[in-house]
Amino acid sequence: MEERTEEGKYSNLILSLKVFFSNRTAVAGMVIFLAYVVDALIMQFDPRLLGVTNPNQFTYNFVNPVPQPPSSQYPLGTTYPGINLLQAILEAIRVDLGYSMLIVVGGAVIGAVVGILAAYVGGYLDELLMRFTDIFFSVPYLVLAIAVGFALGRSFTSMVIALIIVWWPIYARYTRSLTLSIKESVFVEAAKAAGASMVRIMFKHILPNTLPPVVVQISLDLGSVVGVFATLAFIGFIPNANTPELGYLASLGLNYVQSAPWTVIFPGLAITLFALSVNLMGDGLRDVIDPRRRS
Amino acid sequence: MERVKERAKVLEIKDLRVSFHTRRGVFKALRGVDLELYKGEVLGLAGESGSGKSTLGLAIMGLLPRNARVESGEVLLDGSKDVLKMLRDYGSRDVKFDPRKNEKLIKRLNKELREVRGRALAMVFQEPLTSLNPVLQVGYQIAEAVYYHDPMRLVRRAISRNRCTQADLRDLMTTLKTKGEEALIEEVEKRNLRGLEEQILSIWRRQDIHEAKKEKLILSLDKHKLDSKDRLGISIYLRGLQRVPVLGRLAKDALIKEGYRLAVEILTYLGIPHPEKVVRMYPHELSGGMRQRVVIGIAIVNNPEIVIMDEPTSALDVTIQAQILELVSSLKASSNRSFIFISHDLSVLAEVSDRIAIMYAGKIAEVGPVKVIFEEPQHPYTKMLMDAIPTMDKTELKAIPGSVPDMRSPPKGCSFSNRCPFVMPKCKEMEPPMVEVSEGHKVACFLVGERK
Amino acid sequence: MIGAFNLKKYFPVRGGVVGTQYLKAVDNVTLTVRRGEVVGVVGESGSGKSTLGRMLIRLLEPTGGEILFDAPEEEMVKYREALESGDKESAEMISRKYSLLRKKGSELRKLRTRMSMVFQDPYSSLDPRFRILDVIMEPMISTGYLRGEEARKKALDLLEEVGLPRAFGNRYPHELSGGQRQRVAIARALSTDPELVILDEPTSALDVSVQAQILNLLKEFRRRKNITMVLITHNIAVVSYMADRVAVMYSGRLMEIGDKDDVLTRPKHPYTMALISSVPRPRPGEARKRIVLKGDPPNLLSPPRGCVFHPRCPMAFHECGWTAEEVAEDINYLVQGKYYNVFGDNVKVIPLQDKVKVEGANPESIKKVLEVERENIRSLTAVKEVTEDSLLIIHAFQEPKLYKESERRSVSCLLYR
Repeated sequence: MEERTEEGKYSNLILSLKVFFSNRTAVAGMVIFLAYVVDALIMQFDPRLLGVTNPNQFTYNFVNPVPQPPSSQYPLGTTYPGINLLQAILEAIRVDLGYSMLIVVGGAVIGAVVGILAAYVGGYLDELLMRFTDIFFSVPYLVLAIAVGFALGRSFTSMVIALIIVWWPIYARYTRSLTLSIKESVFVEAAKAAGASMVRIMFKHILPNTLPPVVVQISLDLGSVVGVFATLAFIGFIPNANTPELGYLASLGLNYVQSAPWTVIFPGLAITLFALSVNLMGDGLRDVIDPRRRS
Repeated sequence: MERVKERAKVLEIKDLRVSFHTRRGVFKALRGVDLELYKGEVLGLAGESGSGKSTLGLAIMGLLPRNARVESGEVLLDGSKDVLKMLRDYGSRDVKFDPRKNEKLIKRLNKELREVRGRALAMVFQEPLTSLNPVLQVGYQIAEAVYYHDPMRLVRRAISRNRCTQADLRDLMTTLKTKGEEALIEEVEKRNLRGLEEQILSIWRRQDIHEAKKEKLILSLDKHKLDSKDRLGISIYLRGLQRVPVLGRLAKDALIKEGYRLAVEILTYLGIPHPEKVVRMYPHELSGGMRQRVVIGIAIVNNPEIVIMDEPTSALDVTIQAQILELVSSLKASSNRSFIFISHDLSVLAEVSDRIAIMYAGKIAEVGPVKVIFEEPQHPYTKMLMDAIPTMDKTELKAIPGSVPDMRSPPKGCSFSNRCPFVMPKCKEMEPPMVEVSEGHKVACFLVGERK
Repeated sequence: MIGAFNLKKYFPVRGGVVGTQYLKAVDNVTLTVRRGEVVGVVGESGSGKSTLGRMLIRLLEPTGGEILFDAPEEEMVKYREALESGDKESAEMISRKYSLLRKKGSELRKLRTRMSMVFQDPYSSLDPRFRILDVIMEPMISTGYLRGEEARKKALDLLEEVGLPRAFGNRYPHELSGGQRQRVAIARALSTDPELVILDEPTSALDVSVQAQILNLLKEFRRRKNITMVLITHNIAVVSYMADRVAVMYSGRLMEIGDKDDVLTRPKHPYTMALISSVPRPRPGEARKRIVLKGDPPNLLSPPRGCVFHPRCPMAFHECGWTAEEVAEDINYLVQGKYYNVFGDNVKVIPLQDKVKVEGANPESIKKVLEVERENIRSLTAVKEVTEDSLLIIHAFQEPKLYKESERRSVSCLLYR
């Protein structure tokens, strides 16, 4: 009977790591992702490490506002008005990453609660909640976000709220489908037989079992949210023109795009690279939680 | 059974060692298996989960997964054909095992074995739903099995039926009635109508209809002529144009259509009511027992010498299991086929087997004629297993303490030593050899060696 | 201890053209379990045995019928009599007092400490994200039976009682083998010291050697704690080893119930006979008559008329529920096959309402065939008479009830009316 006993939770973790690390693109994605995170953390806690004095503002240089091509002094060149692009991107990542996290996690929490409730309670509540999410689905997200943004006034808070409103239905649907299958599992039945209340079953049994796939979904979504967030900033939803943000940064060089394409390319690349890295990492994580791919 | 040794060996397994390379480690699934299968017998292969019994079945078929390394050993078909040679040549080499390389070899092996499977070997799996394709009709799947292994058989059937005349059929009928089946086959050869005999005999051998009806059915075989499209298809096939895109489609359609007729014959033979309707059904429309019959039909349609059945009744209810067991017995009686019947249920094996091999931790613990194994088991594991099976007349069950060893690091010496009540110091040191205690009865245990 | 009366469970199945149909998973099952006894419920897949078990513990709400819990035996008998005599008032009185189905909320939660269930598959019945200790503690905490440190201590003791080391409490289910998990599931089921445990196929997912360990463990608990058990399984040998009484189910109905030794050694219902004779035995070469049933269990959406078992029954007779279609099919089969020489090509068999028309055949030869084949093809017994114009009249049928065959045994078969 002592078989498998030496294999602990520990070894399961090791197995998960093995699965993840055997996927080279996922590891590459993770490395890039971590670089972004580290940059954001440095900007938050000790920006001087990267030579930035105030990460809350772009440093303008009105003496020489015209964009300069990349040089040894400005590795990625400058953008209007005389902003050092490399430094600006490093500053902006913190804002984009922070707000995107807030949006995705907020959306996931709301969506998970709605999804689990709908699936577990079922019946009319399910019908009601799902039709409600359908409404959100049927409106193009950008339009919806702009509408909410206008209604709430242009601020970072209203943008975050707008995007959470756009994003939660995805998670509601996803957790609902996960819950529908978990709900039928024998351990839920066993919990019912043990006298567990509905709330207990939903939050102690179902929620923890939906978490791993939802976390993977979050990591996959992070990339698109950064894109959408930057897009909104790019088209002018930025309340304080001086806040470092990638979309806004890209929009600054818009008038010079033909003579100085780097002003748009580099901020865009920062966004794209981030989206790519979280997607690669998410794929790797998906393999980890999928027992079929473990052999 | 009594004189096992005189029978021809159809399959011989020598010192087969297979391991699975996984992320959790290297599992030694088979650790030196020696076994033979004789013509016309049912060999029962018993063991608990993890004993390696299913792996053995897959290894014989050459159906191993990519991470299976054949470290040594041979699987000899008809005493000569070494099935696993290619994999063993790679697996026995002292290099780091690469599943991708192994996979390539397995693919090559599969191509090579395609012809062997079907003709010599066939397999029936536990869950009929997974071995049937859900989107294809049952008849199509049987037809396809023939199409891939022996398309000429379908061609012969179609052509001979198309060519035969009412006079031919009348003559053949007379031959069959007066001189018997052998003479019929000769007569068919003489008239150059090969392919017709199996169609006649499949009707003739039916038990459920009156002779007059059989005669009528046989005499009306010539009514089922080919239409022009099928004739075209078959002539395309005969000209070797079946790989040409559009023409190939025509050829395959024609042969598959013939295969449906064959499928009806097979299903009739397996005792399925309304076979003409069943061939047009999809697997999900059939009950579990019917599905398993269809799978058996696919396995035997090419008349293989050896049929390996891996837990064919474990997913079925007892009353349906009884039907399938009866079918297996009648299949054995009506042909000279050999069966390997893999099951965890010793009682089931007692019902169908001539000989039984008990597997434990990747090795054969004991093998012998069924009566001997059940009445005078010698290996402690076999004995304890017998005491642990609940039966209707037992008032006490003796559980085997402990559980099977971790196959990544099987214990030194006898793998049962950690659960064996008679364990001796040397059991932990050396692996006990197979000792023949009586004719055909072999045991791998030091206790037996001692007594001798 | 617990009694189910005329219990029914119909599952609605929404169909396209035919509208909503009902799948009668359990139909009119009456079963009482006395304190301290082990009742085995045997049946094949689709017999409704698991559905019955889930209703007994109120995981599924019955469509109809009543379940009395913890009622004294006299009351159970009284209730049954009241039902049979149509005395609604006294039935209502008893059911108000003991009905399990009327319990709600905290009352039901309290009752849940007194009964529990062990499920078939130990791989899916334990939440993969719960530690073993939490798994075992769940019933105690959910029902408020014990809390905190007390519950923890009890769970650790239980681990030891089911033969696992205490250290396993901190493990996760996936770290355990199948047998070990089933031990945990048993510990969970026993954590609130229940009087009644429903065991749904507790060993069918396990290997033989482990199965014996688990069965012996259950037997041991039963002896020590005098637990009442309902053992649901398809394995008759397991029932034979564990149970005091046996109930046999087929297609949602109870076929036979009685003391284990009676039912298993002297089965009365033809289905039980066939079932028992189908069980493979580890006695090679033993000569015995095996009854191999034809066909498959029926589709529960449209179960056969009369007795559900009659189409497969080797002993069925004229009143068992034969329909014109069933008779026509068998006659057609004979006429086209075995008796082709007599009837030739021009016979047509047409099922009508309770009659079968055989066109183009001589009534005398039909009678002769019926005479000969009646023994083998049971549907032919249903032919009451053959008229001059070859019209076959079918007998009226009767629905079987549970008949008392002897003091302690009931059989649902017209043979024991």
